[in-house]
Amino acid sequence: MLNISDVSMTYQKGKKEALKDVNLNIEEGEFTALLGQNGAGKSTLINILAGNVKKTKGTVKIGGYDIDKKELETKKIIGIVPQDTGYDFVFTVDEALKKQSGYFGIRDNKEYIDEILDALYLTEKRSARIRDLSGGMRRRFLIAKALVHKPKILILDEPTAGVDIEMRHTLYDFLVKLHEAGTTIILTTHYIEEAEKLCKRIVIIDGGKIIADEPKEELMEAFSRESIIEVHFEEELNLADFDFLSDYHPHIEDKTRLQLKASKKDLSKVFRQLSEKNMEFTNLVVERPKLEDIYLNIIKH
Amino acid sequence: MKNRIFYNRVGFSTLLNKEIHRFMKVPVQTVLAPLISNILYMAIFGGMLQTREVGIEGISYLNFLVPGLATMGAIFAAFQNPSFSIISQKFQNTIQDLNSYPISLAEKILAFVFGGMFRGVLVGILTYAATIFFVGYEVEHPIFFVLALTATSFVFASLGLIAGLALDNFEKMNFALAIVITPLTYLGGVFFEISKLPGLLSAIKYVNPIYPLVNVSRYAYIGVCEGNIVIHVLLTMVLVISSFLIAAYIFKKGVGIKTV
Repeated sequence: MLNISDVSMTYQKGKKEALKDVNLNIEEGEFTALLGQNGAGKSTLINILAGNVKKTKGTVKIGGYDIDKKELETKKIIGIVPQDTGYDFVFTVDEALKKQSGYFGIRDNKEYIDEILDALYLTEKRSARIRDLSGGMRRRFLIAKALVHKPKILILDEPTAGVDIEMRHTLYDFLVKLHEAGTTIILTTHYIEEAEKLCKRIVIIDGGKIIADEPKEELMEAFSRESIIEVHFEEELNLADFDFLSDYHPHIEDKTRLQLKASKKDLSKVFRQLSEKNMEFTNLVVERPKLEDIYLNIIKH
Repeated sequence: MKNRIFYNRVGFSTLLNKEIHRFMKVPVQTVLAPLISNILYMAIFGGMLQTREVGIEGISYLNFLVPGLATMGAIFAAFQNPSFSIISQKFQNTIQDLNSYPISLAEKILAFVFGGMFRGVLVGILTYAATIFFVGYEVEHPIFFVLALTATSFVFASLGLIAGLALDNFEKMNFALAIVITPLTYLGGVFFEISKLPGLLSAIKYVNPIYPLVNVSRYAYIGVCEGNIVIHVLLTMVLVISSFLIAAYIFKKGVGIKTV
C-alpha cells in the first residue's frame, strides 16, 4: 500500500539531512505508529507523502503509484491530517467539506459528509464558521476534511495534540472503527500510550533514520525479556544488604521498595535467593515494560 | 479524470468557484470600492481636464479617459484576486492544502488566473457602465473592448499569481502594489498621452506592460490610440502568453508552496 525506498531529504544545499535512506513498507489494513522526538524526521516524511516537501532521492509508491510519475493518482489514495490546525477564515464547516469533496472530483457528497460529521460529533457545528470552533473541534474538522474522499490510507500527524482526554478517547474509538472498516492508518504522536493502545506496528525514527520497525507485540516481547521486579518491605532498606543480587541491578525506591531488573528465566532464581536469605517482603510486583519505556530505551541507545 | 492537463474538471471548477466566491462574498470591498474610485476619477479629472490638451487630439477628454479607467480597474482587481488569495492561504496556514488535491498543475493555475480575470473583467465592465452617465454608451468596437479587458485581466491575474507565490505577507504585497503597479499604471497612459511627457518619462512606455494594454482598450473604445494598434495587439498577445508561462513555471517549481 505504501512503499518508501531509500528516501533521503537534505536541505541548506545538502549540509543538513532531514531523512537518511529511509525504507518503509506499509501493507494494506495496517495501523502503524510513527514515533520519534521533535525534529526526528516524522513530519518531513509525512510532508513528502503529502507533496509539500521534495525528497532529494529515493522512491515513494502509494497504492502502487510512484509519486514522481503518477502524483495525481496518489492524491486520491491518501488523506492527511496535518499537525497545524490551519483553517479558512471565510467558510463554514459544511461549505469547507463540500469544497474539499469538489477538489477530489466528488460533486455530490452530502450523505458521506453527514456520516463523517455524525461520527466525529460535529453535526451541530456544520453551519458554524471554522474560525468559531474550539481547538478540539477544529482537530476533528481536519480529520473530517481528510476523509471526505474515502482515502485508503489515512495519515494523522499528532491528531490529539491539545485535545482533552474525553475527546481523545472519542477519537480513538473513531480511528479503531475506521481501521476495522479497512483503512490503513499511520499515526504520529507524542502520547506513547496512544500508540500502545491503537497501533499494531511501531516504527521509531531518530535523526532521520528508522531505528526500529516491529510489530508492537514482538517489540514488547523482545523488551519484556527484562522485567522490572519490585519487592516491597515494611522496614527501611540498606542497599549493601542486597549485594547477593548485584547481577540484577538492585536499586532502592522510597526507602522500602527494592527494584531489580531480571530476565524472565531469572525470575524464579531471584525469588529463591530472596527466600534463602529469609527476607520477608509484603508485596511483589513484576512489571512488564510499557511501550514508553521501550521507546525511551531505544531512543537513548 | 483522464489526461494530465485536464485531469479533474470538478476539482478545477471547485477551485475556480472558490476564487470567485472569495471576492463575491465581500462585494463592497472588491467590486464597489474600485468602482466608486473610478467614478470619482471620472467626475474630478474629467471635469477639471476637459478643456486641456492631455488626451488625443479631436477626442473629448472624457471619452479618452473611460477606457483608461476601465483598464486600470481591471488591472488592480485582476492582480489582487489571486495574489491576496495566495497570501491569505499562507497567513491561514492552508496553502499546503493545494499540494494535496488531485488537480493538475494547469487546472490549478487556470483556476487562480480565471478567478482574477473574472473579477478584472467585471470591474472593467462596471466601470464602463458607470461612465455611461457621463459620456453615453457608444463603444467603437464592443467585442474588441471586452477582449481587451479580458486580455488585460488575464495578464494581471497571472502577475498577481506570481506575486502571491513569490511574496510571503500582506505588507510586501501592498508594497508591490504601491511601488510597482500604481506608478506603472499612472505612466501607462490611463490619464494622458504618454508622448506628451518630457524625455525619460515618455520613454518608460517602451518597458511598461500597461501601455499597450491601455491603448488596445482605447482603440476598441474610441477607434484611435497612441501609437500603432497592430504593435499594441501583438505586444498584448506576448504579454498574455509570457505572463502565463512565468506563472506556470513558478507554480511548478513550488515557489511559496513547497519546501525544496
